[in-house]
Amino acid sequence: MNEFALWLSQTYPSVLIQTHNGWMIPTIQSIHIAGIGIVLTSVFMMDMRILGLAGRDQTLRQTTNRFGPWLMWSLVALLVTGILMVIGEPVRELVTVSFWLKMFLIVVGTIVAAIFMRTLRKNEQRWEDAMTKRLSIKLMAIFTFLVWLAVVVLGRLIAYDHIWGAWSPAQRL
Amino acid sequence: MDISEVLKSIENTDIASSIRDSLFLFPMLESIHVIGLALVFGTIAIIDLRLLGLASTHRPFQKMASDILKWTWIAFTITFVTGAFMFTTNATVYVHNPVFQAKMAVLLLAGINMGIFELTTGRSVRKWDTSKSPPVAAKTAAIISLTLWISVIFLGRWIGFTTTRTSIQNEAPLNLDDLFPGAPEDSTTPNKK
Repeated sequence: MNEFALWLSQTYPSVLIQTHNGWMIPTIQSIHIAGIGIVLTSVFMMDMRILGLAGRDQTLRQTTNRFGPWLMWSLVALLVTGILMVIGEPVRELVTVSFWLKMFLIVVGTIVAAIFMRTLRKNEQRWEDAMTKRLSIKLMAIFTFLVWLAVVVLGRLIAYDHIWGAWSPAQRL
Repeated sequence: MDISEVLKSIENTDIASSIRDSLFLFPMLESIHVIGLALVFGTIAIIDLRLLGLASTHRPFQKMASDILKWTWIAFTITFVTGAFMFTTNATVYVHNPVFQAKMAVLLLAGINMGIFELTTGRSVRKWDTSKSPPVAAKTAAIISLTLWISVIFLGRWIGFTTTRTSIQNEAPLNLDDLFPGAPEDSTTPNKK
């Protein structure tokens, strides 16, 4: 991975972003943060609907129809801006424990969201009537929101990977 | 007592110095700040898109606003408090930083925009509450709001690239040459700052 990061840092797109470092990196990061706003809020609104704390005038299906596509497309936007950030600063991103933990939790969060959308579509009536009243489903809603919160925290911690001490690969180099 | 003394005394508080001395506190404050602003921006965007007639058009505006804006204010409080703690660590530098000044000005404008909307178009909400396409004045307020909040995000991120706090220096990109002592010199790779 270290060799890959070094190689990537010398490729043309990486050099291009690096040479425009002054505005390109902050711009990409800002778009990334705006995307985080949409992802986090979409998950928040759906989870709050399951918990009965928001959107009670809407059915669960109406809520997921409203926020599901926004969640999906902003995740795509985050992937694109995220890849640009890795290309622009490969060593800063790839040689950190925070980055890889974050990637793992994104996979977990995305899988849970996909399974939720699928089962909702299959058993719509059961979800509306009974599922959201179940404690396990409510706990799942809280858990998924916490996963996405952890993703945000780990994203910020990429810049401070030294706080992991010996766990950070950058420290071992 | 003039302003620079006030700023100095803010920096000298116990809270400010313990944040400065801690390895974890500043990154944690930043993370919670990002979570808060993400929810502020996202929930405001939901309202603005409704005002623009682009989303949630089947929902009456007032019902939506009372459902969602309470979360906006909770998130704003979290963002404000974490922002204030970060401010204490280096108050003088922040106050003199043009990017920080611009961010505060834009936040103020967003507040003024909201206030004007509440006092004018918001007053006649009963007339357009269930309308799929609210009046032009409401749409204008929504576009201004979205523009200002996106600017706040950009300016906020820029502050991190313009302050000279010690922990920000830790954020500087790793030097490739330190990591790979044997790496060949490559003249096409520009030196990072």
